[in-house]
Amino acid sequence: MELLTNLQGGLSYVFGFVPILTIILGVTMGIIAGATPGLSPSMGVALLVPFTYTMPPTLALILLVSIYIAANYGGSITAVTINAPGTPSSVVTAFDGYPLTKKGKPGLALGVSLVASTIGGIVGTIILIFFSGPLAKIALKFHPAEYFALAIFGLTTVASLGGKNWIKAFIAAMFGLLLNTIGIDPISGVSRFTFGLSFLYDGFALIPALIGLFALSEIFKQLENGNLSTQGATDAKQEWPTIGTYWRLKITILRSSFMGTIIGIFPGAGATIAAFISYDVSKRFSKNPEEFGKGSLEGVAAAEGANSSSVGGALIPLLTLGIPGSASTAVLIGALMIHDLTPGPQLFVSNPEIIYGLLASLLLANVVLLVLGFFGSRLWIKVTTIPKMILFPVIFAVSIIGSFAVRNSFFDVAACLAFGVFGWLLRRYNYPVAPIVLGMVLGNIAETNFIRAVMMGGWTIFFTRPTSLIMLIVAAGSFTIPLIQAYKTKK
Amino acid sequence: MTPKFRKVFSFFNHRFLILLIFSFGLLLAEFPSKPIKVVVYTGPGGLIDITARKFTAIANKYVDATFVVENKPGAGGIVALKKVIQSPADGYNLYACTKSNIAKFILAGGDNYVDALHWTAMLMADPECVITNKKNDISDWKAIVNHAKNNPGEQNWVGPATGGLDHVTAMKIWDKYSMEAKWIPFKSGGKALASLLGKQGIAYVGNPRDALGNPDLYIAAVSSRQRLDAFPDTPTFTELGMSGLENEFMWRGFALKAGTPPEIIDWYTALFKKVTADPNWREFWGRGGIDVEFIGGDDFTEMVREDAATFEYYLTKSAIISDSNINGLAKLAKGYPLMGVIIGLFIVLAIIGLMIYNSGASQILGRVMVIGFFLIVSAVFYLQSLIFPVNSVIGAAAIPRLWITVLVPLNLLLLMRTIRRQEEIEGSGSKINLVLAFIGFLVVYLIVMLYIGYFISTFVFVVGSAIYLGYDKLKISLMVAAGWVLFSYIIFYKILFVPLPMGVIFEGLF
Repeated sequence: MELLTNLQGGLSYVFGFVPILTIILGVTMGIIAGATPGLSPSMGVALLVPFTYTMPPTLALILLVSIYIAANYGGSITAVTINAPGTPSSVVTAFDGYPLTKKGKPGLALGVSLVASTIGGIVGTIILIFFSGPLAKIALKFHPAEYFALAIFGLTTVASLGGKNWIKAFIAAMFGLLLNTIGIDPISGVSRFTFGLSFLYDGFALIPALIGLFALSEIFKQLENGNLSTQGATDAKQEWPTIGTYWRLKITILRSSFMGTIIGIFPGAGATIAAFISYDVSKRFSKNPEEFGKGSLEGVAAAEGANSSSVGGALIPLLTLGIPGSASTAVLIGALMIHDLTPGPQLFVSNPEIIYGLLASLLLANVVLLVLGFFGSRLWIKVTTIPKMILFPVIFAVSIIGSFAVRNSFFDVAACLAFGVFGWLLRRYNYPVAPIVLGMVLGNIAETNFIRAVMMGGWTIFFTRPTSLIMLIVAAGSFTIPLIQAYKTKK
Repeated sequence: MTPKFRKVFSFFNHRFLILLIFSFGLLLAEFPSKPIKVVVYTGPGGLIDITARKFTAIANKYVDATFVVENKPGAGGIVALKKVIQSPADGYNLYACTKSNIAKFILAGGDNYVDALHWTAMLMADPECVITNKKNDISDWKAIVNHAKNNPGEQNWVGPATGGLDHVTAMKIWDKYSMEAKWIPFKSGGKALASLLGKQGIAYVGNPRDALGNPDLYIAAVSSRQRLDAFPDTPTFTELGMSGLENEFMWRGFALKAGTPPEIIDWYTALFKKVTADPNWREFWGRGGIDVEFIGGDDFTEMVREDAATFEYYLTKSAIISDSNINGLAKLAKGYPLMGVIIGLFIVLAIIGLMIYNSGASQILGRVMVIGFFLIVSAVFYLQSLIFPVNSVIGAAAIPRLWITVLVPLNLLLLMRTIRRQEEIEGSGSKINLVLAFIGFLVVYLIVMLYIGYFISTFVFVVGSAIYLGYDKLKISLMVAAGWVLFSYIIFYKILFVPLPMGVIFEGLF
């Protein structure tokens, strides 16, 4: 019961004036950062880190995690309203969110994504509070062979994403994987496909690719169609979800929240894989799988529940082991260190007030997110009523900042434009672009862990470790079943 | 010359003179007369970032200067380095560097980066150490050595990137003990520690600070001359009976562009000495077992050269860099000539595409072109992979080739289906010229941005393209453009320190 006492202490601290203000500030900034194409949660957190150097440690952490959670949600706003996922994980939200906007129902998508995010965030936090110990042990047992199997499992979602166009979907995924090999090879240190150009040493950054492939290609496509009036509904009578809508989605939201938390605990896996896998699973469990990709509320809920709950998961290895579970938590470690705090199990003993303050603030930040998001959505939805003739130029201006800010590099801006043109061409010929992003996310995980596993235990290790074997069998199944189904429906 | 004309002329003369005096005054003015950029090669939150920020905070106690930390991550420090060596040697760009950068400079090859910088001061050094997991069967240093000798090449050592400082230290240790082990590299030290905690590895090489905070981690040996104050129970290699490993450390310091005037270097040297003596500074680093010590000028340069030689030796030995001759087909696959060929191929592809489009020929050709693009990329990448050195069980070429071997048959399958018209024909829009014009706009916008900066070019672009797209409410588009420019200036440039391009023309003013 020491846990509950500590948590109570944390809650009573967080309910002070300054902490609440900090959370509101953090959530607001996080939503804006997430909604800006290109500012991912980890960058939102990173950009704010220098400010927190002069703040008291607990407040600094509260500010940063508030930004982290809110940015994970914020990404869905632009994904839904202008098909420009603000964060890599909200790519999945765009699959169904944007079609809903096109149908004139952005309110439904925004409402469901907010509620699914909040519930996901709270579920993730509760799991973090009560089960972090045992879950951290599981995370440590995860061998490179299993990470490889997880990446392969993630890749198999392409089969169901692609549907009829599965060949094109796989080509796109393979191309993403190949792009990911550009740069210094993380295992051998050899520079690959850089042509001696130093800006290619780190390869292509994900964010500019994401903005180009989604936001810019969408603009080019709409320009080509000559469709320059406003998108979505223009009238004031917007349709918002009712309590009944949310209730019908309860299973989807809860399932994705659990999945998101669990996938989030494995260092390096993160929100994006969580969202893809959860979307895939929800599609399989759904009574209306044919609606996925065309504006399914279940799809939106699955994506957002999973990516928000992964925050709680990613904090588990950070707090219990001192190991960052995601890019954002890696930045949090730096923030802890500048305050002379060493993350790890000792921190629970030496500074419990910081840990429990942090946990309590996670719960509160999700509630604040719900409130701010509720009013914010009413505002954001106005974006869909802006004439495209002025909206498009502004999206370009925003995209440039987003792609530049990743590494303060102009090369990334040029790459973003190139990805935009490329994405538009691919979409003209029915190639889905999401698999490219998935390939770029998974490429590194798949490759490095494959090689690590072989170095550690030889070529057979993937089949001699039961966990990895089971995961690979499931992956093989989830890969072939949609293909067989697609084949059958064709006949 | 008419009197009027003369008046104008003398007016300009007058202003010109003031400008001249003013700029001369700037030159003579005491350094620093404008903010100093501290260029950090990682994102915010890394140890070197913390070093830079802590340094600026303490330096402000001693000098009246404005320091701005600028994060320029990428290529293990080469991006930040280029920023410094491409700026004038006027002391306004201070490069926050570590020993890891030297390894990266060697790996990158080519230019002599070591001589491009004036190595102004080393401010601190963290000894390297071997960390083990108490829950592993072997965690004691002697037991590890014995185990390695009985099972040569079997032990898994974990740590960050191949060819980095920790890896080279590990190789040095193995050399000294004439033992063999495997280096399993991870994306970050943290992930390598996770694998040590998960009992997948036996030893981890890194900073003693990494062992803080987790009671299962145990420092088996440290490569310093004496035991560390922060870890009094940890033996040094010397105590364990091995000499030659008492001086392996990770240093952090600062460098300026080579050719910076000596008086500016003196100014910095004096400042670095004051910061090193500062009690707050010493206390902050001392707690993590980090030695705070000033080594400046020639001594530091000497050290850097030695480091470079060591890295070169071990990186060549482990075949990470190689000077072997490349043969046959692979010769074609190197550097700029290939780059030229590739760009040429794509331009040809684009021209053919445009011609097909203009001729209104069949939709199928466009589709075939996309397939052609993927096939060309595959071929180029495959050719390139022939020149990768092979230095481990699975070389750097293996995985890219794996993706290529899936990509090529898929494209051939698609090609077959496309030609047989088994693939669905999709509808596409008709205003392709609008798209091409807009892409042209964007390219011009980006190029102009390099000269006049983000803010002015964005304003013009937003207003201009809105008009082009047929938006007739000029007032609103002016307001929107101005609003965005103001918002981005305040939020991104001023508050979040995103160093948006200010343009070559205006660079000097900021």
